[in-house]
Amino acid sequence: MAMHSEGITDEITNNELFQVSTSSYSNEREFAQLQDEKDPLSYLREKFQLPSRVSLNSSTLSLPATSQDHDPGIYLCGNQIGLLPLQTPILINEYLRTWATQGMYGLGKKMKDSPLPSWGEIDRVAAELMAKIVGAHPQEVSVMGNLTTNLHLLMASFYKPSVGRSKIIVERETFSSDYYAIQSQVQWHAFNVAENMIFIEPRCDRTLSISTSDIFSIIETNASSVALVILSGVQYLSGQVLEIERITTFAHSRGILVGWDLAHAVGNIELNLHDWNVDFAVWCNYKYMNAGPGAIGSIFVHEKYGHVDKTMGMDGYRPRLAGWWGNDVQNRFEMKNSFEPAIGATGYQVSNPSILDTVALISSLRVFNLTSMSALRQKSALLTGYLEYLLLQMPTCHLFELMTSPNESERGAQLSLRFEQQVLDGVMPKLRQNGIVVAQKKNIMRVAPVPMYNTFMDIWKFVEGLRNALSASKL
Amino acid sequence: MGSIEQEFPIRENVKITKPSFPSEANTIEYAKSLDAKDHLRYFREQFIIPSKANIKATKVEKPGVSNEPCIYFCGNSLGLQPKAIREYLNIHLDTWSSIGVHGHFRRLSDSPMSQWQLLAEHASKQVAPIVGALPEEVATMGTLTMNLHLLMASFYMPTPEKKKIILDWKAFPSDHFAIESQIRHHGYDPEECMILVGPDEGEYEVSTEKILSVIDEHADTTALVLLPGLQYYTGQFFDIKTITAHAQSKGLLIGWDLAHAVGNVPLQLHDWNADFAVWCTYKYMNAGPGSIGGLYVHERHGKVDYSQDENKPVFRHRLAGWYGGDQVGRMNMENKFRPSPGASGFQVSTTSASDLASLCGALSVFNQTSMSAIRKKSVHLTAYLEHLLLSDTESSTHAFQIITPSNPEARGTQLSVKLKPGRLDTLSDMLEEAGIVADKRRPDVIRVAPVPLYNTYEEAWNFGQIFKAALAKCE
Repeated sequence: MAMHSEGITDEITNNELFQVSTSSYSNEREFAQLQDEKDPLSYLREKFQLPSRVSLNSSTLSLPATSQDHDPGIYLCGNQIGLLPLQTPILINEYLRTWATQGMYGLGKKMKDSPLPSWGEIDRVAAELMAKIVGAHPQEVSVMGNLTTNLHLLMASFYKPSVGRSKIIVERETFSSDYYAIQSQVQWHAFNVAENMIFIEPRCDRTLSISTSDIFSIIETNASSVALVILSGVQYLSGQVLEIERITTFAHSRGILVGWDLAHAVGNIELNLHDWNVDFAVWCNYKYMNAGPGAIGSIFVHEKYGHVDKTMGMDGYRPRLAGWWGNDVQNRFEMKNSFEPAIGATGYQVSNPSILDTVALISSLRVFNLTSMSALRQKSALLTGYLEYLLLQMPTCHLFELMTSPNESERGAQLSLRFEQQVLDGVMPKLRQNGIVVAQKKNIMRVAPVPMYNTFMDIWKFVEGLRNALSASKL
Repeated sequence: MGSIEQEFPIRENVKITKPSFPSEANTIEYAKSLDAKDHLRYFREQFIIPSKANIKATKVEKPGVSNEPCIYFCGNSLGLQPKAIREYLNIHLDTWSSIGVHGHFRRLSDSPMSQWQLLAEHASKQVAPIVGALPEEVATMGTLTMNLHLLMASFYMPTPEKKKIILDWKAFPSDHFAIESQIRHHGYDPEECMILVGPDEGEYEVSTEKILSVIDEHADTTALVLLPGLQYYTGQFFDIKTITAHAQSKGLLIGWDLAHAVGNVPLQLHDWNADFAVWCTYKYMNAGPGSIGGLYVHERHGKVDYSQDENKPVFRHRLAGWYGGDQVGRMNMENKFRPSPGASGFQVSTTSASDLASLCGALSVFNQTSMSAIRKKSVHLTAYLEHLLLSDTESSTHAFQIITPSNPEARGTQLSVKLKPGRLDTLSDMLEEAGIVADKRRPDVIRVAPVPLYNTYEEAWNFGQIFKAALAKCE
């Protein structure tokens, strides 16, 4: 069951959009070709620069003139680094022209016929586009910083421990950056790390799946001493989707706030951060959001935390680590020494953002704007379901274990496969040789067919490549 | 004749002789003669200079179409675009689109840039000589104010007895807000804890003696000193070496905001023993609006000591994230934070590869020269501009005051000119009409920065002409 929310107008249903359902999969190559022909979102693929098999394996930028093979690669790694939208170099060119010909006037001047806003407004324009992707009001989103630095800024506002209420609940398998960040925040407040980080253990060490009821009981047990919960919307290693709304509601019922790391969720699964009453969230934009390696990140802060009462000075807004770009836009350039934050997530900004990065993000957001998260998610569920189907049909499927849940509502685009180390180490180079790109962490392979630009044929070829690689390495 | 041929003193204990100019200096012929001998004259063509038509335009144009360049004296706000940046960005986009996720670890042999995982350090090595630091003392990351917060988390460790911060009375607002919010974060009162050091009544220059005496007065209750290396408003270049030594002699830590210093004046952060520093790269470094910032941490603060326990390294506390971990640990994603030694260990998030590409393009210009060579022209050019403004006028009729120190050792490229009230708009209109771009600081100050890498003596002469005409108009 796909996740829905009352807030989103969902005109498109599974039957209307896609003429296939999971029960009609076939492992014939023609089936894949047919699905691609009928795919109503296939036009999105053409919006991207698809790396070729040859270029993926090249060690130089310039490819030999004699290279015949420009077949696109099978890039199933959009959950690590998303591909380049074709509009991005065009918009970057526009940005370079503006900088070259306007110098500092680019800050305030809105150029006629320009596809880009002035630099002073550009992060707000990006935030408005981004808000739709995460189910937020525009004021609740800010385009800024990077995931972990944003996490630090928001923890400075939301992690306010006191003696007796200082603990943070976090997944044992949370992404290392979050772990280091949280640990260092506990230390910054001079609390003991071992005593103040409570881990949610996976139910099963093979699949790493986390049970919502385990999360509930850990919150319940520790309610009086917990200052904050921090969780991943989509677990990076197992691909599991956590029940953001249910967990947030439960934590709130015990008087506890929850922050969400949505690195693998944004652009992947449908989110309704406002309606779900999420307190705050951080994410990066270089995975499913295709804004480029290390590109500018974003935050969500629920509107209830964004109020500013100017009559109360420093007590009129939620405390935060401040900087000039968080000041009310009206008087940001007056250079006064009194901080008056903007209302909402904008008030949590600190520095003027990289215009180059923001342009790349806007380029990608405009592609998202051609469709909807609902439509993307529907295609994604079909693609990933198809991947699972083909994998389980393989005669050698005993050589790996599917870690990710078979339930559509508990996963996004990604499937994680656990292998024996030796087997996976043997498979990866063979896949690479065939222009197939998937992610490996130790003995886990992560495959993420992304609805924006992957095809049923990509999946069919991947499975064929995997089958061949496994047969070749079979003992 | 003020000669730029004479041996320029680069050793810090040799005073800079203020250039003097002959009677015919205020002629276009003389200005042109200085340009003909300018040792940096070939650098101008490495930049795109907006034309007069460009800066008046409301539509984005192709650069270089009109051949009447504007006079851009605003590089202290936003540096002009090095032509190299377009090339570097193209290479970056080609890399991203041809190898996708492999860009993290694969260096393409015909690219001037390293793989993404090493690119920040690649840039830092080039930045290090510009700030006079060891390569391992520099990190390329974040944005100025965010970096300031991160370093304050490491260096501002207040106790009830020692909790004050000494700062510049007219600190750039972002710094003021950052400091205030950090003090608040620790539960202290900013009004009590912020000690502002400013000039004497009616003055603009803050004497070193004054700063030292304020340090003396408050040393026992102060936790940190945080000053601008070069003051944005007046253009004063502080005596970083003396002030740092004095603060440290009182047991204080001292950090420097070098936004207006980096790429402008020679710095020797390591030898001066500065504890830490932060900067942005979109001013004199010319890397583009909002481009990636940097920080410096003296090597003694960056040590990571495994001698007590090889599993529990000892290091200065910091707000952490995965990018501060060493290269190996970073990708293994383990839950033990093992920071890289040096400034790299203060990194938090993945760095933006497009921002880095832009910075590398900008650095490719600096790599062809040195801060010493840049400073040589800067001292001379700024002195020439000052001479033009002050010449042929009686002090009693001075309708303006240069509030930047007249001693070249106490200033960089910028001159801040305070006009008698009511003159700013007239001057501003005439400058605009003449295609001269300079920064207005209402109500009465104009900041003029003739940047050595792309500005000329003839431009300074033209500015002088318009300036005088504007003031004559106002009489």
